[in-house]
Amino acid sequence: MAEASTVPKNVASEPRPSVRSLLLSAEVDARLLGLIAALVVIWVGFNIMSGGLFLTSRNLWNLSVQSASVGIMATGMVLIIVSRNIDLSVGSVLTFTGMTMAMLQTQWLPESLLGQPYTWVIVLAIGLLVGAAIGAIQGFIIAYLMVPSFIVTLGGLLIWAGFAFEEASGQTISPLDTVFQLLGGGPVGSLGEIASWAIGALACVGIVYSLIASRRRRRRYGFPVRPRWAEGSLMVISVVVVLGAVWVANSYYWPAALAEQYGKGLNTPVGIANPVLIAIGVAIVMTIVATRRRFGRYVFAIGGNPEAAELGGINTRRTIMLTFVIMSTLAALSAAILSARLNAGVTGLGAQAELYVIAAAVIGGTSFAGGIGTIPGAVLGAVVMQSLQSGMVLLRVDSPIQDIVVGIVLVAAVGTDAALRRRAT
Amino acid sequence: MSINRKIAALLGVAAIVLTACSSSTASTKPSTAAASGASAAGCKVGVSWNNYTEERWAKWDEPAIKAALAAVGAEYISNDAKSSAATQATNIDQLISQGAKVLIILAQDGTAIKTSVASATSQKIPVIGYDRLIEDPAALYITFDNKGVGKMQAEAIMKAVPKGNYVIIKGNKADANADFLRAGMVEAGIPANAASATGDIKIVGETYTNDWKPALAQTEMEQFLTANQNKVDAVLSENDGMAGGVIAALKAQGLAGKVAVSGQDGDAAALNNVALGNQTVDVWKDARELGKAAGEAAAQLCTGTANDKVIGTAPFTTPGKNNVSSIIIAPHPITKDNLNVVLDAGWITKAKLCAGVDASKAPDACK
Repeated sequence: MAEASTVPKNVASEPRPSVRSLLLSAEVDARLLGLIAALVVIWVGFNIMSGGLFLTSRNLWNLSVQSASVGIMATGMVLIIVSRNIDLSVGSVLTFTGMTMAMLQTQWLPESLLGQPYTWVIVLAIGLLVGAAIGAIQGFIIAYLMVPSFIVTLGGLLIWAGFAFEEASGQTISPLDTVFQLLGGGPVGSLGEIASWAIGALACVGIVYSLIASRRRRRRYGFPVRPRWAEGSLMVISVVVVLGAVWVANSYYWPAALAEQYGKGLNTPVGIANPVLIAIGVAIVMTIVATRRRFGRYVFAIGGNPEAAELGGINTRRTIMLTFVIMSTLAALSAAILSARLNAGVTGLGAQAELYVIAAAVIGGTSFAGGIGTIPGAVLGAVVMQSLQSGMVLLRVDSPIQDIVVGIVLVAAVGTDAALRRRAT
Repeated sequence: MSINRKIAALLGVAAIVLTACSSSTASTKPSTAAASGASAAGCKVGVSWNNYTEERWAKWDEPAIKAALAAVGAEYISNDAKSSAATQATNIDQLISQGAKVLIILAQDGTAIKTSVASATSQKIPVIGYDRLIEDPAALYITFDNKGVGKMQAEAIMKAVPKGNYVIIKGNKADANADFLRAGMVEAGIPANAASATGDIKIVGETYTNDWKPALAQTEMEQFLTANQNKVDAVLSENDGMAGGVIAALKAQGLAGKVAVSGQDGDAAALNNVALGNQTVDVWKDARELGKAAGEAAAQLCTGTANDKVIGTAPFTTPGKNNVSSIIIAPHPITKDNLNVVLDAGWITKAKLCAGVDASKAPDACK
């Protein structure tokens, strides 16, 4: 039922078939479509301005890895913002858990557990648990002690950054465990050609199956279904996009110098990077949680009308607390990816990440008024933000100008969204 | 109360560091403060830290200042402004009311502090601007040669790569140091910008990096490598944290160790990268030298020595056009050939410096 809230509802007053009514009958989220259009414009624009550099497999592959950590956190931020809260602490939680994991795998774990093939599992598990615990503490204070989330997480922003500093007295902890580093991607930390195609094929089967299953289910309950042409083209487009993405990842070859070091032949495809696989996995799980599970429906119900949700018998406090547990756990997951990628635990790792995460969620259509937002939108929002940033570095735009552009885009995106929504209702 | 607790904790740290370093400091040049003799005995020297939670001050600077003062029997008092210019103004008044005869100030804000400095000098209390510039002609300026750091970075990299494609990763735009360092690079012969490059060195990428963030430097480097199809021969990174990000990006392309990379700060991880051959130069500022110079200068000021008569001072014109006396300490460029300098100084342990270094390719210091 959550998708009902994300699709504009004015089907009535439309006399002739326009693009708008076609989209409506195909049940495509117009906001998501707008975002994709914006992304295409940005990509093509950068590609022209960079003389064809932007749309190379290498740059797109880089972009996918660079977007992964913010994308992962943005999926959690959607649930937080949808339920009318905010989490300003994600950047600091990321820094703290990242530093914790770095210290674990270099100093804190007993000698016998260091440098083992399974060390990364222990480190990651503890890191995620620490993240969950932080989320539980903050969530408890917010949900049960009724302290506004803005204040609690603002405190968290200061507290966890401070703890992160104390953990290592401000030092950089490097190098990290060699297996753990694979979480961060790079050609070594990628799936390779065959596994990437296999994942792509699996995804296609999943898409086709879920579309058919949902059509059957709707028919059984007598709900309206999409016209056949819409269903068909949606299926084809999804499959083409998935396979296209795999193809791009597989057309990026191992850099010559690195291939030589690892004894790989020339033109060995890199494939999908581990962090990207993790991000896609998170996005799928979070989408299911948000739209197909009771918990997700509760979150949207609370955001839509907290009083009604409470009177309707929803345990709002437990639900809210859980959203914060999820958020901080995802921040810990991002911390693992970012520090593995950098091959170091550093005190500034997550500085200002909260701003990018919130911006990604909001650009992706999540509304501060509560009750509205989608996971795929937030992930796309993260890709838009990262595209702007990476593209501008490619064009050698200096960082202050980058900040200005990203800031303008953020306000413009939300402004347009608000204007469209006003017209639609 | 918090000051007492802090001092108690610090005495412990200071004792450990001092015993660890005593053997190495003995080998450096003889103490100049000894010349001014016992007349500084009992003189109270007040130190105003701007943000004591940064690791460096407690670990390196403060013990060095204390040792230099203790050598002449002067007394050390201090407080911490916790990154607030307003708190620092109050703190300085407190130090004066506690009887400080000389002030050493690590300014939070070199301009906002001027009122406090003027009030101190009107009470005939000499002021030392420590590490950061204070725009007041009456303040003695003791610092590292920041422009020199940039120059040393550039010189070491140009020695390794005399001609080729250079990428320049600068620090935070709002931090004047980022531009000082860049100016130093120009002095060494690096073009001021991509357009003015005419000689052997071509700038193929240059950017500031918000908050000197290593992860951001990594992304920037990935983009520069993409833009130039990996045809990058050298990277001038202004500090060690960003150098770490640059090296991570190079590693993903199999280029770590093949592209020259600079840094500064003497971070353990960066020095390890120098030993591993991934980083070409790490310009190291030995904070203990700075602390020692400040302590010795304070001891001389205690005896009524004028700023420009303090041993080792030279005139310096500030960016604000003030003529001040200054002691400018040269940093040390550390490459794989002189890693023993940081080892001998007790700055880093051999285990940390040489972690993961391949015995066959090990620099002398790791053998």
